[in-house]
Amino acid sequence: MINNPSHPKKGNLKSKDCKFSKAGVEYIDYKQTDILERFVNDQGKILPRRVTGTSARHQRQLSTAVKRARFMAMIPYVIENLR
Amino acid sequence: MKKDFYEMTYILNPVLEEERFSELVSFVNKLIEDNGGEIVEVDEWGVKKLAYDIDKKSTGFYVNMYFNAPAPAIAVVERNMRINDDIMRYLTLKYDAKMQRYYELRKKGDLPVIFDDADAETENEDDN
Repeated sequence: MINNPSHPKKGNLKSKDCKFSKAGVEYIDYKQTDILERFVNDQGKILPRRVTGTSARHQRQLSTAVKRARFMAMIPYVIENLR
Repeated sequence: MKKDFYEMTYILNPVLEEERFSELVSFVNKLIEDNGGEIVEVDEWGVKKLAYDIDKKSTGFYVNMYFNAPAPAIAVVERNMRINDDIMRYLTLKYDAKMQRYYELRKKGDLPVIFDDADAETENEDDN
């Protein structure tokens, strides 16, 4: 996340294209935590569409996938901020 | 009876002996089979660290499985799993056509690549 080179908030968003549509994804699996973590900020919040460029259909799928992964304790609900 | 394709992931209490894990896995498998289901695939992920504590435990034994079962069986299986104290979490999903296509792809190992990590690295080099 914070050390993630492809994090969308780090100015790496080159295109406003939906990455899922481009790759032809039909179903976003909650078990692929490495993908989900890229669409989450360093507090663990789901990033908005305007930041990631995800299409509406895939954003809906993504949010259910993130919520399922959180329930199964694969990704955290909140990440405590270190001050 | 019409059967649907399901996926289930559950987390077992990690403070158990090795034998108890396999006992519990076969307990769940038997539960599904007794209710008219058939197991397709069982994948034990083993003890993994949890993202947050569940019942004051920071690790859990993950099991991921796929099966065909008639709809009424799910309620029975889930009730039995809720009663069992050694099963900390479970998540059952019914697979629709798209999800089943995804499952076939995953088994063949040609999932669509979303992030091309090799590309990302070269891009970073250009920036420097």
